[in-house]
Amino acid sequence: MIGLPAYLVLGALVFSIGLFGVLTRRNAVGILLGIELMLNAVNINLVAFARFNGDVAGLVFTLFTISITVAEVAVGLAIVIAIFRVRRTVEADRLDLLRG
Amino acid sequence: MTLETMGFGVVATVLLASSLAVVLTPNLFHAVLYLAAALVATGVVFLLLEQPFLFAVQLLLYAGGVVTIVVFAIMLTERLVGERIAQTSRHVVNGAIVAAAVFVGIVGFLIGAPPGAPRPAETVDTTAAIGRALVGPFAVTLELLGVLLVVALLGALYFARSEE
Amino acid sequence: MAPSVWLPLLVLGLPFVAFVLLAVVAPLRRVGPRAGLVSIGAIALAFGAALTVWTEGFVSETTWAWIPADGGPIATVGLLVDPLSNAMLVLVTLVSLLVQIYSLAYLGDERPASLGRYYTYQSLFAFSMLGLVLAPGFLQMFVFWELVGLCSYLLIGYWYERPAAARAAVKAFWITKLGDVGFLIGIVLLWSATGTFEFTDLFEKAQEHALAIAGLPTIMFLIYLGAVGKSAQFPLHVWLPDAMEGPTPVSALIHAATMVTAGVFMVTRTEPLFALVPEVLTLIAWVGAFTALLAATMACVEADIKRVLAYSTISQLGYMMAAAGAGAAYAAAFPHLLTHGLFKALLFLAAGAVIHAVGTNDIFRMGGLFRAMPQTGVVFIVGTLALAGVPPLAGFYSKEAVLGGVWEAHLTGPFLMLALTALLTAFYMFRVVFITFFGRAHAAAHPHEAPWLMRGPLWLLAALTVLVGVRLALGGAEGHEETPAWLAPLSVGLALVGFALAWAMYQRRLIDPARIAGALAPIDYLARRRYGLDALYAGLYRGFILGFSRLVGWIDRYLVDGVLNVLTALTLRGGDALRRIQSGRAQDYVYGVAFGLLLLIVGAQLWR
Repeated sequence: MIGLPAYLVLGALVFSIGLFGVLTRRNAVGILLGIELMLNAVNINLVAFARFNGDVAGLVFTLFTISITVAEVAVGLAIVIAIFRVRRTVEADRLDLLRG
Repeated sequence: MTLETMGFGVVATVLLASSLAVVLTPNLFHAVLYLAAALVATGVVFLLLEQPFLFAVQLLLYAGGVVTIVVFAIMLTERLVGERIAQTSRHVVNGAIVAAAVFVGIVGFLIGAPPGAPRPAETVDTTAAIGRALVGPFAVTLELLGVLLVVALLGALYFARSEE
Repeated sequence: MAPSVWLPLLVLGLPFVAFVLLAVVAPLRRVGPRAGLVSIGAIALAFGAALTVWTEGFVSETTWAWIPADGGPIATVGLLVDPLSNAMLVLVTLVSLLVQIYSLAYLGDERPASLGRYYTYQSLFAFSMLGLVLAPGFLQMFVFWELVGLCSYLLIGYWYERPAAARAAVKAFWITKLGDVGFLIGIVLLWSATGTFEFTDLFEKAQEHALAIAGLPTIMFLIYLGAVGKSAQFPLHVWLPDAMEGPTPVSALIHAATMVTAGVFMVTRTEPLFALVPEVLTLIAWVGAFTALLAATMACVEADIKRVLAYSTISQLGYMMAAAGAGAAYAAAFPHLLTHGLFKALLFLAAGAVIHAVGTNDIFRMGGLFRAMPQTGVVFIVGTLALAGVPPLAGFYSKEAVLGGVWEAHLTGPFLMLALTALLTAFYMFRVVFITFFGRAHAAAHPHEAPWLMRGPLWLLAALTVLVGVRLALGGAEGHEETPAWLAPLSVGLALVGFALAWAMYQRRLIDPARIAGALAPIDYLARRRYGLDALYAGLYRGFILGFSRLVGWIDRYLVDGVLNVLTALTLRGGDALRRIQSGRAQDYVYGVAFGLLLLIVGAQLWR
């Protein structure tokens, strides 16, 4: 039998990979992909916990996360496109209007 | 090694490999395809946890919806810029260190944690349970989620609309 | 409300109304002489009311709660109307009225706005002085005490464009403040010991021997310090001669007749309290007599006519204080205060007329003025005779009462000093008279008699000086029973000796003044230098206050500002350095989030 820790380690690994992507990608779309990975890792965790504890709430939360992720991706990409129209780039490094 | 263990090993390998490919491949379009693979692998993980309903949602919404939108966006920007967008990375070493540190931190919890109970047998129909929960204790949340989706839709339209 | 309450209130209120009117309504103030008429009208009505109060002999005490507290008000304000304050009311309003009328002519050349300012101050002064006189408790007295000090400052500095006047105003303010500090501390100590500021309460306690407080002598000495400053007693007398930089009518009103006598008035008013501390009384008597003698010697060598009168005022205030110290505050000090107020105001106003005519204060640049201005000369001589103590003028009786009171108290030292002062008084006053009015006329000047607006008050005061003297001569028999029979001849004799000396030295030139000065060289030297007291104060002021200010300035500039500069520089530099953290790139902020997450993880694992 595969125990709970195996799933949790898998989720942590995927989360770390997603974080790595968020930190290193230059392209805004790439950053969004990293965020997707991180959210997926969270979903794995939620489902695993729900399954091993026999609690349906975790599953419902997963459902919500997925829906919200869709909304987030839609808005995020719309913002990326809007930025691209104005700045002619989606390189996150060059979007530094807020620099102190 | 049981069938289940072997299945988990295969799925985990595929998931990690495609995830790494998402964050490492220089081609943005390929990255999206790898993401689709990773999402499907995640769905299979759900299946291993005996959640066919979530597997279906994962495939439909994530792998279907999200990936499609991202592909649209990439093609749109590439068409606007007129060239293939190459993905480059920055501060790879720093990012790797931080990510690894976070991973080690999380695993640190797992090492200190008491051994969990073995997986209980699935007794009820989880799909029906999810449905009851959604219209029962989580009804208000569900409605709010609907509102959020509408707002997100409108916001996306507003941001992405052309100037003229 | 009974007339014994509202009439004194009217006396107090009228000048206040005039002051507020002139202070608030700027156009009225700027028209000058007419503003003066407002003030004069108010003070004239107040004088009428005060006269009624005095002749009717009203006695009342009215108080209103001022600082409310649990278990009754901490302090009250109100009116204490008794024979003492009634007489003082009449003196203050009368001299104020005459001085204000006199000022219309004397300051006629001033710019209208300045004149309006002058009358505003005058009204405020009249109000403050009357409030002081009517005060039923120490606290109200102190408030008005400071108000008259303020008016004195403002009026000495009336010609504030003159550096000397501005300096004199500040000097007067500071030096009287020295005494006021003691006054205030004394009042507060007395209050903390007895729980009341009210005179009547305190007097009752004093009579019931319930005032046996430890340190009462110290308290009364501190209160006396206020009188030392205000009434120009040694060693705080140095401000009064300099105060002559103000207009002459101001000197007549404030620095001769009213404000400077506030100290004597205060000691008289609180006599039952001072009677409990004989050692302080003895000190008062000695200081008063010494002040009288010291000021008289300085008056003998002074060439400025107003300063001679100022030293004479100090000398006479010393007389009053000596009498108060001898326990004869009601019998001698206060009557002398009243008569002195009359004839010293007369002398000052007459001197003002002289100055107005010749345009200088220096008596050696005057001379033979009697021919040019006989009326002024006559009134000045009347004042001089009164001051010298020649019967039957007002000064004689009060002065004799002072000498008698001091003799009765067995204060031989002060008595001898006062007797010598009497001689010197006659000498220096007739010195001024002979040099100013009878000496050789200076060809350059063409003096003329003062206008009637100035002569009227002069004649009135001269007539009052004579009338009061005559009335005292007729009705004063029973008041002087206890004085020894040889006293009256002695004081008249001393005055005559002084007169004869002055006549011989300055009129007949039988004795060369220079030889006398040579014979008394040390005293002459010291008196001409004011006994070094002014220099001492100036040195103390420069050395201590300015040195302290410099120290504080240095601390402020280099320590306080330095710390602030270092702090601001650090903040700026730090901000500049921290600014670079804000790269504006979203991913750099994700590092921050990641580090925060790591911290949480590590923290949670450490403190699980």
